[in-house]
Amino acid sequence: MNLKTFRGGIHPPEHKEPTRDLPIEHVPTPKSVVIHLTQAIGAQNQPLVKVGDRVVKGQMIGDVQACPAATVHASITGIVKKIEPAPQSNLKDGMAVFIEADGTDETVYMAPLDAFVCSREEAIKRLRDAGVVGMGGASFPTDVKLAPPADKPIDTIIANGSECEPYLNIDYRTMIESPADVVEGLAIAAHIVGATRAVVAIESNKADAVPVIEREFQQHAHGMHMETVLVATKYPEGGEKMLMKAVTGREVPSKGLPFDIGVICQNVGTLKAIKEAFVDGKPLIERGFTVSGGACKTPKNLYAPIGTVIADLIPDVIQISDDVRKVIFGGPMMGVTVPSLQTPVAKGTSGILFFSAAESKQYEERLCIRCGRCADACPAWLMPMLMNAALDANDANRADAIGLVDCFECGACSYVCPARIPLTQRFKLGKDLLRNQRAKEARHGK
Amino acid sequence: MENKTMKLVLSGAPHFVTGNDIQKTMGMVIIALLPALAGGVYFFGPRALLVTAVSVVSAVAAEFLFRKALRRETHVTDLSAVVTGMLLALILPVSSPLWMAAVGSAFGIVVAKELFGGLGGNFANPALVGRAVLLMSWPAFMTRWSPSLHAAVVDATTTATPLGILKLGGTIADVIKSVGASGKSALYLQMFLGNRAGCIGETSGLLLLLGAAFLVVTRVIDLRTPVAMIAAVFAASWLFGRDPVFSVLAGGILLGAFFMATDYVTTPVTPIGKWAFGIGAGFMTVLIRQLGNFPEGVTYGILLMNVVVPYLDKIIPRKFGFVKPRKVNA
Repeated sequence: MNLKTFRGGIHPPEHKEPTRDLPIEHVPTPKSVVIHLTQAIGAQNQPLVKVGDRVVKGQMIGDVQACPAATVHASITGIVKKIEPAPQSNLKDGMAVFIEADGTDETVYMAPLDAFVCSREEAIKRLRDAGVVGMGGASFPTDVKLAPPADKPIDTIIANGSECEPYLNIDYRTMIESPADVVEGLAIAAHIVGATRAVVAIESNKADAVPVIEREFQQHAHGMHMETVLVATKYPEGGEKMLMKAVTGREVPSKGLPFDIGVICQNVGTLKAIKEAFVDGKPLIERGFTVSGGACKTPKNLYAPIGTVIADLIPDVIQISDDVRKVIFGGPMMGVTVPSLQTPVAKGTSGILFFSAAESKQYEERLCIRCGRCADACPAWLMPMLMNAALDANDANRADAIGLVDCFECGACSYVCPARIPLTQRFKLGKDLLRNQRAKEARHGK
Repeated sequence: MENKTMKLVLSGAPHFVTGNDIQKTMGMVIIALLPALAGGVYFFGPRALLVTAVSVVSAVAAEFLFRKALRRETHVTDLSAVVTGMLLALILPVSSPLWMAAVGSAFGIVVAKELFGGLGGNFANPALVGRAVLLMSWPAFMTRWSPSLHAAVVDATTTATPLGILKLGGTIADVIKSVGASGKSALYLQMFLGNRAGCIGETSGLLLLLGAAFLVVTRVIDLRTPVAMIAAVFAASWLFGRDPVFSVLAGGILLGAFFMATDYVTTPVTPIGKWAFGIGAGFMTVLIRQLGNFPEGVTYGILLMNVVVPYLDKIIPRKFGFVKPRKVNA
């Protein structure tokens, strides 16, 4: 079969077998949680609670009157013990609310809201009040994403079931276990933006999810045109821009946004959260994630309150071996290594990987041999080796001319590099260098 | 909590890397050169192997000793020096003095590669630089050709290459006579199989294509440059009134196109650059054959193009998202 895809990309080993067929397991309510006030791209939230307050599961505890930002909520019922900086999976150590459970399972959710009856403004407000963000990893506030400017009409919405990161299976399990929620959420999102075409894009290695999803179209499509599209199993197929190109053939313009081409893409987990925000009135306070890796003795798909500290899951829920060297939040291609097991699960945590010493090998970096594999792998069709050469010469402007800012740091170039050059890292730093140079030029009135 | 003393490593994404490294890539090139080397032994005798061994050992030793002398890390295990040594031997006559092969590959490694920082820093192909220097320094040794052991007509211990016969004013008919072929197509076949005088590894198109096919299938090399170079040789030869098929099969075109013009470090990385490099190298080669002093021009053709690579690398291909804004139907 001729699968839809994009040009470029790589085929890393999938490592999905250990957790592929394991149902999502709900962890017992933790005794305490650490909820960071700011978990999404955007403005810094202010706490809405004080130390000593009793908070109820579902209660909003962090907000700021700014756009974009996403509210945060208590994920367990209990007492606020302290509000102070804590290790965060984005390595920013932001302010967090420490809640100690009081053993009750009281909840305070919002009243259900019929997305197909309420106004657009009400619907957007609901998404904001529920603190829904993109759960594939980027944590972009969903209320902002589903409210594109009026002059940018949306005709297509894509449910992202591609999950191209190795090891991770949480999106796949969500599709298999909660297909009705995913399709209902897709219908709601499509209705909010006025899309006429709703597509569930699934990688070919998860083809068995296709009939499961299609079965729900009858009941949950709300009269909308829905279809599934099988896309090639390739990294980064689940990258928003790549998936849009594969499904619609349209390219998000450089420095532009998806709504410039009339498309919106939402992770399937996010769609489930959208459904819950409307149908159940439940804010985004829990999420699923895959736990795996060579140093993880108990690969699993888990469902836990946001703010659950990994250390608290060990050893009752997760067992890790002594030779663990890396703890990665997210997948192995774009995930972030954290320095401490005291790091809590965040809204954007799609996986937690424990890598052994053998999996954490460091390599000697060699000079670029210009083999061109990075350019073949680059889904943005850049020339990483030339950008690297320009940055070696501290010439950020030259690197930019080649395409530095069009790099979205998927890691494909670093993965294929036979000289073991950390290209992706170099480009992250290069973007800082470019910003600094531009700022300097601006100051000197250039 | 357990593992209180656990040491966690922090590193930037990705946390995954392919198993393919420089050593494996160079290993593939070595494998791809083996058919041509075997052909060299078949057509010119076991001395071909001796010349190759000396050239390889000299290249590896030169790299190792140079880096040791500079107290830098040695990288001979990446096998790139082995490739350079092999390539140089394959473009030498089988009668080359062993000391000359050693000097050529050591010169290529030290002057063309290590002085520029080692693998990745060089701007010119070390094997070709080695050959160019030998050709200028000891032209007599570099143009002393032995006939193929399987030649139909052998009337001397030395002979001329097909291109050499043309340079001395001969015609294709003279070449046909020299290999004892029955006609033009029989000549083409003899040349394609490699049954002619020439450098150790350049004569057999068949064996070179075999190795090249391996590199193409394993995606080590890109076909753009060799295709462009061969096409340019064909076209330019035709323009100059030379037999185009003969021109492609003669000399070192196929070896140069598939194994030298595809050298990663010294050729363009941009797609248009690759086409331009191939066309330029092919055209320069024919110009040298037609107008120059030497019968063959592949070495200088490619070296000349090596110099302009930084310019060819400025031709950046279209990036994702650089399309005209789409009209959205409201």
